[in-house]
Amino acid sequence: MNHHAVEIIDYTWKYLHGTGEAVSGLNLTVEAGECIGLIGSNGSGKTTLVNSIDGLIPGQYHGIKTGEVRVFGTEVEEYKRGELQREVGLVFSDPEAQFTAMTVEDELVFGMENLGLSLKEIQVRLDWACELADLGSMLEKPPYEISGGQKQRVALAAVLAMQPKLLILDEPTAMLDPISRARVFDVLARLRKERDITMILIEHTLEHIIPLVDRMVLLGEGKVLHQAPTREFFDDLTLLREQGVLPPSVVGFSGWLRESGRVDGPSALSIEEAADQARQARGGE
Amino acid sequence: MKKTLLGYMPDESFIYHVHPSVKVLFLLVVSLFPMFISAVEWNAALILFLIFLLVVSRVSLRIIKIYIPVAISMGTIILLSYTVLGGRHPEFSIVGSPLGVPIYWERIRDALVVYFRILPMILTMVFFLSTTREREIVAAFRAARIPFVVTYMIAMSMRAAGMVLEDFRIVRQAEQARGFDTKGKSLPYKIRKYVAYMIPLFALSLRRAEEFTNALVARGYSFRSNVKRPDYILSRYRFRWWDALACLVIMAGFAALLAARYGYGKFTLEDSIFLDWLGGRLLSGAAA
Repeated sequence: MNHHAVEIIDYTWKYLHGTGEAVSGLNLTVEAGECIGLIGSNGSGKTTLVNSIDGLIPGQYHGIKTGEVRVFGTEVEEYKRGELQREVGLVFSDPEAQFTAMTVEDELVFGMENLGLSLKEIQVRLDWACELADLGSMLEKPPYEISGGQKQRVALAAVLAMQPKLLILDEPTAMLDPISRARVFDVLARLRKERDITMILIEHTLEHIIPLVDRMVLLGEGKVLHQAPTREFFDDLTLLREQGVLPPSVVGFSGWLRESGRVDGPSALSIEEAADQARQARGGE
Repeated sequence: MKKTLLGYMPDESFIYHVHPSVKVLFLLVVSLFPMFISAVEWNAALILFLIFLLVVSRVSLRIIKIYIPVAISMGTIILLSYTVLGGRHPEFSIVGSPLGVPIYWERIRDALVVYFRILPMILTMVFFLSTTREREIVAAFRAARIPFVVTYMIAMSMRAAGMVLEDFRIVRQAEQARGFDTKGKSLPYKIRKYVAYMIPLFALSLRRAEEFTNALVARGYSFRSNVKRPDYILSRYRFRWWDALACLVIMAGFAALLAARYGYGKFTLEDSIFLDWLGGRLLSGAAA
């Protein structure tokens, strides 16, 4: 039977001491191999949602849950302890907070050891993750002594080395400078090209996730407000602006051209596409 | 350069070829040596041997410089508490009575014995911390088959200490940026206002604990897991013949020390040439 990677049905979660429902009657499906971008303002329920998919909710938090959160066909609460994490990898926004070892090498290996892999397999995966995230030169360094960008690449590589079928990234570049941010997205782009991995990406810098994701999902007040394939998603800029989503300059410019009737067709998602639309608009004038 | 628990060491040091278990054994056993040695000169010889080990391991001796003021202060305190504050003992030999306070030779001798016991113990710890990385402690414990949970808790405690200090620095800077500074204020004021640092630090620690727990769960770690861990860290260190030899030498040295001390009465106060000489000088000076 072919299951969805993630299937969330009428899911509601309220933290024990929370004032309201963090997620309220949410429905969402993610297909295997699909990459979705999850956006929304602070408090919209993004982190609660991904923590629910990784089993941290309800495992690590107290609250009231209704509805279903299914990962590869099985409700998350039915997974045995540690089993769900074989399928789902989660990268947090603060790289420092997620370090569990005292050298980069041990950090990369920790998750694989928890899976009980053989030393041979660990070495193969370690080499692969190091190569992918360009970490070969810093294996012996303590993870808390490297730069912010390197830290996040270590955190990402540590999760990738576990080779999860579903990778969740919760604002992985929130604490990084633009260059480090670009390097993290380079790693993700390479990963998408080389592996058929399902990905859920929470990120505020839309210009980085647009080239990466197949579909965008907008959350607000714990519900899915809007979801569509990436290009279609940016057709309705008014809705996005109402929800506090500031589209990238390229998308905004393309939207202005379309709204003012200078060009027809879908939104531009890259500088090249926007330049084409600008040329088209000038030709029309 | 590689970072150790106490500083940095050049990549070329031979100490990297020594198995972590040997280092831990060295710390545990050699730091006991002074406990069985009363003769000051033998403990002084042990100090010189430890300095020699620091030099050949290519540890910067500047590390020791940091401890010199501490060693002097400690020596002064020990000497004062044994002599000036040592009480009156009519059965002991007086070497002088400055300001009417009798100073006994036996108390000076005891102060010297204690001081020269503490110094090599500290230096053994300095040698260990200067030549050992955090990871090696974990490897040594795992090699000794100490359960992973225990090893991991110790390792994370070491890591947490650094994180708490870093958090404390952040909290202090944040407080200072908002005009809160105890610089130049009295000690009672500083102690009272320390609460202003402690509350955010405590809150931050709780948040870090939550994040860390989430990270552990997300990486598939479980205290009650039945998965057999492959102990990758042990594959990075090989116990070679020279490690076995070093262990043998350390243990043989300890056994020889015990035999000499309790079998042949060596390393005792009576056996000390230095104390004999010093006692003779001080007492003859007092008699004159």
